Amino acid sequence: MIFVAVGTQFPFNRLIETVDQWLAQHQDETAFAQIATGSYQPQHMPWQNFMDAESYQAKIAQATVIVSHAGMGNIITACEQQIPIIVMNRQYQLGEHRNDHQADGLKWMAKLAGVYAAPTQTELFHWLNQYTQLEQPQFAKNNRRDALIDFIDTQL
Amino acid sequence: MPKKILAISSPGGHWIQLNKICDGLQQRKNHSIVYAVPAALFKSKQDKKLYTIIDVSADNKWKLIPCALQILYILLKERPDTIISTGAAPGVLAIFLGKVFRIKTIWVDSIANVKQLSRSGCMVKKHASVFLTQWQNLEDDIAQHKGAIL
Repeated sequence: MIFVAVGTQFPFNRLIETVDQWLAQHQDETAFAQIATGSYQPQHMPWQNFMDAESYQAKIAQATVIVSHAGMGNIITACEQQIPIIVMNRQYQLGEHRNDHQADGLKWMAKLAGVYAAPTQTELFHWLNQYTQLEQPQFAKNNRRDALIDFIDTQL
Repeated sequence: MPKKILAISSPGGHWIQLNKICDGLQQRKNHSIVYAVPAALFKSKQDKKLYTIIDVSADNKWKLIPCALQILYILLKERPDTIISTGAAPGVLAIFLGKVFRIKTIWVDSIANVKQLSRSGCMVKKHASVFLTQWQNLEDDIAQHKGAIL
């Protein structure tokens, strides 16, 4: 199952439309989309505007791959659940976010194992065509996180 | 010693990062943590004590005042020792109010901000008791780098 999620802050029609176009060519694939306030309504997959924590977790549990905006929430979830994630960044120029920090973010995210950058439709199709072969994120023991939380604990 | 903590952020990625931090703190000591976040959407069945606050961002400044009043109410009611935030606008309000009431404040700038500190981070940088960035390259005389969520 392909789980598409664009976060809660803004719509992201470009991402939803691209996945929908791909699904039109791949009718045997199953997918589900969370589209926020997006005006584009997918024709080839069921969708919801927003999801509560439980239904979000349920979709994550079923997902073979996550297709996401470059938001930290989905990236962290994908890494922890070891589900490959394909990430399209919102672009300020296209009115998709209030600045271009998602483009900066995508550059380092794509260095993480199991995280695939798809700034445009071409890359997104490329990764979707091989989505069952994508590598899983590796997140066994996170020393960086432990160090951060240990330090905060000393500062409370 | 376990502390009373107010953890506050905007929804989405900020909120997920905040929860990762607080879950880790809770595992280390039996801190008492209360949460404040806009949108009941994020309320799950977990046993966390959670206040729903008005959704504010830098785009709708007129909502800042009612949101600040809500945070004020939470501070007076809960009397936290420490405020922790990952951003954005609700965190800024909480850090400023924390400063007024001389509550210790800890800001953890979002990991999403790679090349420069977040806009909300820049606003509170000189006011938070402890200011952390998750990126080594953004460290300076105020912003400390001690680790990251990922």
